[in-house]
Amino acid sequence: MTSRRQLLKSALLGGGAGVVAATALGSLGPEAAFGAAAPDVAPGAPDPDFAEGRIRSVKENTLLVLGSNMVFHRIRIVDGTSLWKLGPTTFDQAKPGDGLYARGVRMPDGVLAAEAVWLNIVNIKGHVRNITAERIHLDHKGQQVLCHRVPGKSVAIYSDAPPSGDLSLLRVGQHVQVMGAWRPDTNEVDIATVFSAH
Amino acid sequence: MTRSQPTDPPIDLLAAVQGEVSWFCCGTAWGPCSSTGKGACGTCNSGSLQHAWPNTSDACWSITRPDSCGVSLSRRTCGFQHRITSLCGGGSVVTSIADCGPQTDLFCGERSCCGSTCASNRLIDLTPAAYSRIASLSTGLRPCEISTP
Repeated sequence: MTSRRQLLKSALLGGGAGVVAATALGSLGPEAAFGAAAPDVAPGAPDPDFAEGRIRSVKENTLLVLGSNMVFHRIRIVDGTSLWKLGPTTFDQAKPGDGLYARGVRMPDGVLAAEAVWLNIVNIKGHVRNITAERIHLDHKGQQVLCHRVPGKSVAIYSDAPPSGDLSLLRVGQHVQVMGAWRPDTNEVDIATVFSAH
Repeated sequence: MTRSQPTDPPIDLLAAVQGEVSWFCCGTAWGPCSSTGKGACGTCNSGSLQHAWPNTSDACWSITRPDSCGVSLSRRTCGFQHRITSLCGGGSVVTSIADCGPQTDLFCGERSCCGSTCASNRLIDLTPAAYSRIASLSTGLRPCEISTP
């Protein structure tokens, strides 16, 4: 069976950046795709098929990204790349200044052919200091992070219950995990999911 | 909330243990992560295949307290390797300890499921590089099995 990784690599090596058929890559479910075999990397070592940083510019189908460790990345978006920004999104939503994590296949020329790009995604834990209908004030390692509820997008997961749009069960003093999208250069986050133990 | 007595001996001395896995950023980073350091071991980086473990030292254990959720985990220190297998997709990744965490006691009894497959209590946190090998970062939290490679 041809893997998603093999499809990405063969498409780019063939000079066909951007021509990978979404239907071909879409044959794997998300969990299967992320569970697909990846090259062995020593535990503890940097993963060459992963990149993080902030977008400096966008050139055609390539994101030019400066890593927080000052390593520069070229991240190629192809038809099968999944993009996330508070939810599934499109390439035109990737903007200079956005933070990102990306996973894909590192090509011989150093380009990362992206399987997935998560824009501005954060996953932080903290105490609820205050809560209103529109926002949660989260104490994250001594810093206040203002978490905004986005109607139609923000959900809460109370332990193993199904996701709910009702965030009213959250309480001041409670410890929660907020997964969401950072608003660049602020201490504010748009909520995708709040995880609560109860 | 009902809290049970910790198992004796620690369950992870006997076999693989199931629990919840999440992800966290460390090292140089952007956004709310920018204030995060390199973790208790001084080596943690978001782009490396690493994880946080709740019992890396006495000081670590006093913060995370998985025993208050009925889980005893043995002492494993910086560099120790675990294999983390997703109970959703079956993918796995081998990572090494680079930090203390997660704070298990603050989410005592929490349970994550994939269909009818569930696991309780936060026992491990992966870096984004490691977590994205077995699940999309947008899932945030997953049931997993933790074993030694």
